[in-house]
Amino acid sequence: MSVPAEAPGDLPEAAVRRMGEGAFTSGLTVPDFAACLQMGLEPVGFTQGYCVMNWQWYGMSPLGGGGFGYQWGGVRGYSETWNCPHGMVSAEHRSWGQNYEQSWVEDAWATGFSTAYARMLQEAASAGAHGIVGVVDSTSPLSDMGVVEFRLQGTAVRVIDGDPPADGRPWSTYLAGQRLTKLVEAGYAPVAVAASVASVGVWANCVTQYLSEGSNSMFGGATPGAEITQLVNAQMMARQIATQRVREQLGGDSLHGAAMTTVQHERGEGDVEVECVLRGNRVRRFREFDPMPAPRPTVRLL
Amino acid sequence: MTDTAGQPPEGPPQDLPEGASRRLAELENGLFTSDLSVNEFLLVKEAGFHPVGFVMGSSIYHTGIQTRKWGQSQELTKLTEAMYNARELAMTRMEEEALELGADGVVGVRLDVNYYEWGKDAAEFIAVGTAVKAENGVSHRNKLGKPFTSDLSGQDFWTLMQTGHVPQGLVMGTCVYHIAHRGLGATLGSAGQNVELPNFTQALYEARELAMTRMQDEANELDATGIVGVRLEEKSHQWGSHTIEFLSLGTAVVKTSDEVTLPRPTTIISLDN
Repeated sequence: MSVPAEAPGDLPEAAVRRMGEGAFTSGLTVPDFAACLQMGLEPVGFTQGYCVMNWQWYGMSPLGGGGFGYQWGGVRGYSETWNCPHGMVSAEHRSWGQNYEQSWVEDAWATGFSTAYARMLQEAASAGAHGIVGVVDSTSPLSDMGVVEFRLQGTAVRVIDGDPPADGRPWSTYLAGQRLTKLVEAGYAPVAVAASVASVGVWANCVTQYLSEGSNSMFGGATPGAEITQLVNAQMMARQIATQRVREQLGGDSLHGAAMTTVQHERGEGDVEVECVLRGNRVRRFREFDPMPAPRPTVRLL
Repeated sequence: MTDTAGQPPEGPPQDLPEGASRRLAELENGLFTSDLSVNEFLLVKEAGFHPVGFVMGSSIYHTGIQTRKWGQSQELTKLTEAMYNARELAMTRMEEEALELGADGVVGVRLDVNYYEWGKDAAEFIAVGTAVKAENGVSHRNKLGKPFTSDLSGQDFWTLMQTGHVPQGLVMGTCVYHIAHRGLGATLGSAGQNVELPNFTQALYEARELAMTRMQDEANELDATGIVGVRLEEKSHQWGSHTIEFLSLGTAVVKTSDEVTLPRPTTIISLDN
């Protein structure tokens, strides 16, 4: 996933009007607000960016063109096949299986996220902000509309007596308040939020189907529990692909506070979709680490 | 109570139930009630205030209906007004109870909407909070001469005061918006493609921005310098999935000092489990 260098100039009129008004708005909690003031950041405004995407998880052709049906050839990226160890059993027997990267899902996610992100940056830039703290992103389907909305929100801030970013592009971070203070005290400055998704489809072969449905043997006899290799590989590859994508975004910087979420969507008969989202804060060292004082043992009056 | 459905409130309603007046009269004798936790109570005291009573306001409102165009995204202004007026009535009644107690403000305000089986098209809007009064006798009422209101907890209230800001009022903006349905042509046109739907994006974006702008307008009326703890809530209530209320809420604050008196954070090891 990459974020467009130039944000789209299509903010609603109400957004432009709101950002130009007097009182600042802040989506930070009061402790985070206080911590930001203490470290010399003043809030400018609550910023937001949205993108509603037509969304179809399954049955899309990775070659584009709106074709339906599962795609067996021409899959971009990871692909792995499994053959049946039993030989010819019946016409219904799943004698073949495949794990495949769903690049069309990943591309759509990247488009939705980066467009919403660019709009949030644009709101912040138009308010004269230097950065955005406390970014929250979410993806949610809009009830029965068959669409997914990407939402990014955060609080735009200005560094008191500080210079704006050299390239005019505000920095951003999921952190706020004390967590951001600790990061800066440790000698790192936020650069941007980093996020990526990996989606792997699993077309189960007979072994995966039987094991995931709870039968240990296709012929009814009891056999010891066994690892479902096809699903394990799909989960591992989804995590690896997401990690690799975020690594590509970092350049020479580091990732702080990474959070990985993996979700498995069941399609029935052992077939699944594995989706892995990795989020974190791209940070850059600007000074040597200044060790903090030793912690003080404390009892809280709960 | 007078029937004010559909009409914006003009001044504070002098229409508290008899039971409320009796309860508040008892509180004036020194006993106080509060929904603050013990920690909140201590920090409100530390900030120089003491609780004078638990206050509330309520309004049962018939929100009415408004015709929507199937294929057009639009704000439903009648519903927006109804949702706003109903909350405003509840808030004003809560403020009136606080005034009866001679309070300077109300902290920990919660705004809820409840629906009952006996009134399908009506909803009860409730505002509750703890009225507080400054211990040094200095008035902390806002520009309009009313007790300030805030949805901040006791801890947040104390922290905010240490940053040189004081609350002025709980401000809100609302927008009820109908999101257009997609026609057959548009649906077929995007079938099989994961692409942005700009009309949907613009409609949702516009609705949220309108709600936030209205909230900021309320803050400007109080001469606030900022709004903290802003949150955006979305609910379809009982209108179906394509009609959504966007509610923006936050506490308007004014800066009274440049000095941040919070102690410098120190690292700790908790000895609790």
